[in-house]
Amino acid sequence: MSGVPIALAGELVAASLAAWRVGGVAACTADGAIVIERTRDSKTVRIEPKPDDSMFRWLVIVDGRPRPAVSLVAVLRQVRAALDADFAATRVRVSLAPLLVP
Amino acid sequence: MTSAHAIPVSVLTGFLGSGKTTLLGHLLRQPELSRAAVIINEFGEIGLDHELIATSEDSVIALTTGCLCCKVRSDLTQTLHDLLRRRDAGALAFDRVVIETSGLADPAPILHALMTDVALAERVTLGSVVTTVDAVAGEATLDREAVSRKQAAVADRIVLTKLDLAGGEAAALRQRIAALNSAAPMLHAVRGRIAAADLFAAALSEPRPDAGPQIDAWLGDAAAHSHAHHDAELISYAIVRAGPIQAVALTLFLEALAEHCGADLLRLKGIVNIAESPQRPAVIHGVQHVFHAPAWLERWPSAERTSRMVFITRRIPQRWVEALLDAIGAEVACVSKKDSSW
Repeated sequence: MSGVPIALAGELVAASLAAWRVGGVAACTADGAIVIERTRDSKTVRIEPKPDDSMFRWLVIVDGRPRPAVSLVAVLRQVRAALDADFAATRVRVSLAPLLVP
Repeated sequence: MTSAHAIPVSVLTGFLGSGKTTLLGHLLRQPELSRAAVIINEFGEIGLDHELIATSEDSVIALTTGCLCCKVRSDLTQTLHDLLRRRDAGALAFDRVVIETSGLADPAPILHALMTDVALAERVTLGSVVTTVDAVAGEATLDREAVSRKQAAVADRIVLTKLDLAGGEAAALRQRIAALNSAAPMLHAVRGRIAAADLFAAALSEPRPDAGPQIDAWLGDAAAHSHAHHDAELISYAIVRAGPIQAVALTLFLEALAEHCGADLLRLKGIVNIAESPQRPAVIHGVQHVFHAPAWLERWPSAERTSRMVFITRRIPQRWVEALLDAIGAEVACVSKKDSSW
């Protein structure tokens, strides 16, 4: 297993669709994958855990093309890119000023 | 990079006419701010606010070239650099800076400028964000002006003004503000009068091992409750986790938050129980996609060992944030376990 129970990953993917306001549904399948279907055009994305691959622990299949992903964060990035044409990732910037706490 | 002598820069914001300048005038008469340099941003052809501040003229600078949030990187940072140069030359003595924004300013770019300017970072640190809200017109302003909601949402302290004119305790307004920002204590000023210590105690000042009450004040009441407070657009909530969080999980979590919803993450602050550092919790703080590196307390400030993170967001669902943290935590835990078994 990739380590993450598929139900937990499925819940994250479903919550992500809502957070990104991408119309669609995500469901866990009997064979242990997650399938997303976009509402407006039935475009599908399939997410499979890759239990035997210690480096690429997930496979994201978009339009029949499989793309490996190293982590759930990478999975989310690929799913968002596939379903949300307007998505432009924001890179974290780390403050140069020290955080001084109370 | 040391924080020992960093000069706190506090931001005083609030919508037009909400009493910022009156408040500042009274604050500057108090000993806590007797050595403060003040930057006043006025939006309009003729600046008046700085004329209304009774203090040493050298330590008050008016920026009248436009709204601070729009020209922040050039004007504000340049002004701060100039102030520091004059201080270094002995021409000016101050140990704190207060920026009064224009009433139309979005405070987030101002906070970003303070957090990310390379040269400033060695000299200054972000202090309290104080937001004034007019008890008479505040509700209507919050309804009408998106920037006023953002000003309230990012505050460490909210100061209700003109309560004497409102004729009551402004209960509805208080509820409205709490929905925007349940983490910020609400205080009130009578004709601008309020104790400076009440506003600037929330400043991110020197780390202290006995910082329990200060940490709690900084996080606010919201940290104790995980339920959400809703405005039509802005949501504030706290996420509490009893178990420790692995450092890399926290990093990935913050990265994913910023990557997907950075613009809508108005403010995040928290104290986190890091698995690799059980005795020294991390304090985190971010404004949109800009995060401070965590600060590490010498020890836990109280017997409480839970991780508490307060979120003020524009429509980022709490459910997603929780699912993200939990799933990333589970994945990192599994990978760590696998690594250790090799």
